[in-house]
Amino acid sequence: MIAALGLLAGVVIGLLLQPSVPPGLDPYLPIAVVAALDAVFGALRAFLDGIFDDKVFVVSFVSNVLIAAMIVYLGDKLGVGGQLSTGVIVVLGIRIFSNVAAIRRHIFHA
Amino acid sequence: MAADSRGTPPSPPSLPPQAVMGLLDYLTATSLDQDYAAAARRRSEQDPAAPSGRPGRVALVVLAVFGLLVATAALRTSHSAAQSASSRSSLIEQVNQHKQQLAQRRSTLRSLQSEVARLQSRDLAATSQGRAVDARLTRLGVLAGSAPTRGPGIQVVVDDAPGATSDKQRVQAPDLQKLVNGLWQSGAEAVSINGQRLTSLSAIRDAAEAITVNYSSLRAPYTISAIGNPKTMGATLLDTPGGQTWATLQSTFGLQFAIDTKDSMLLPAAKRVTLRVARNDPSATTPRGGAQ
Repeated sequence: MIAALGLLAGVVIGLLLQPSVPPGLDPYLPIAVVAALDAVFGALRAFLDGIFDDKVFVVSFVSNVLIAAMIVYLGDKLGVGGQLSTGVIVVLGIRIFSNVAAIRRHIFHA
Repeated sequence: MAADSRGTPPSPPSLPPQAVMGLLDYLTATSLDQDYAAAARRRSEQDPAAPSGRPGRVALVVLAVFGLLVATAALRTSHSAAQSASSRSSLIEQVNQHKQQLAQRRSTLRSLQSEVARLQSRDLAATSQGRAVDARLTRLGVLAGSAPTRGPGIQVVVDDAPGATSDKQRVQAPDLQKLVNGLWQSGAEAVSINGQRLTSLSAIRDAAEAITVNYSSLRAPYTISAIGNPKTMGATLLDTPGGQTWATLQSTFGLQFAIDTKDSMLLPAAKRVTLRVARNDPSATTPRGGAQ
């Protein structure tokens, strides 16, 4: 429950404050969200497996966001930003799907 | 067993999984960060009784950050979509505004031009010398294409072959050039294509997909009006190289080509006959000064 509260609080803060993003970081926001989503689903699966760990969650969240943004930044500098974003999204998407499948097995036992 | 292990190449059993698995298999198999399992193992080794697997305050903060991130990204996306829509509509507005302005200025130009022509003819009509100049101007204008011209002649309508698939079955600028050359050759005194009067400054050329005459794009079918002797011009045209080319185009590629005689046609004046750079040479003896 504490997790859901935190999520809700973050969304409400974001909607209320509408923080401004520096224009330079604008293109990396969507990819950061996808990377964060991967970390969150991984954490949810670990929670259902009973092996959740705060430190691992924080580290995986921060490193996921930073590495995804960095890969896209590097791609932009090399002129292959679009392709690298696609690659990052494919890899993270596969991970998200397989984690969600595991979560589904936990919840519905199916 | 021993024979088996000798038959297969020796493989060290300690190869990391990403070396022996396909990338997709590896991604699916390790979709959960292995650190969770490692941390859980470590924790149970240190203190087997410790309760594990509950998110603490740090997880709350991180999830709040995640929510903030999602909300911000969603807001940014909807904001920039609204922005691009509004900039698009403002661009459309500007285009319409400028179109209107252009139309207004064109109509002003037309009225000014007609006023100039009216004043000119009034001034010239005042004196007998002026009247002579006026007559000469009109004659020269007909010749140069700067004055509307009326007279009998022929009208040639050409078009692409029906259901044309290749460029050869379409009317190209060189085909029109040959046809117009044929018309001049057969005694045309004034020629216009789809209302574009040909002058000494006219070019017939291909511009992208369209044929351009006097810098305006034309659309098929092309109607070429030529003032001249209607009785002979049609027949003479078919004898010229241009006419023969078109007879071949018609029979070989199916291009449409029809000649019609007209008792009276009005050819419009060319829009632009102003010379900006060319000057006459005063030392040369040029006929000037009206009909003496």
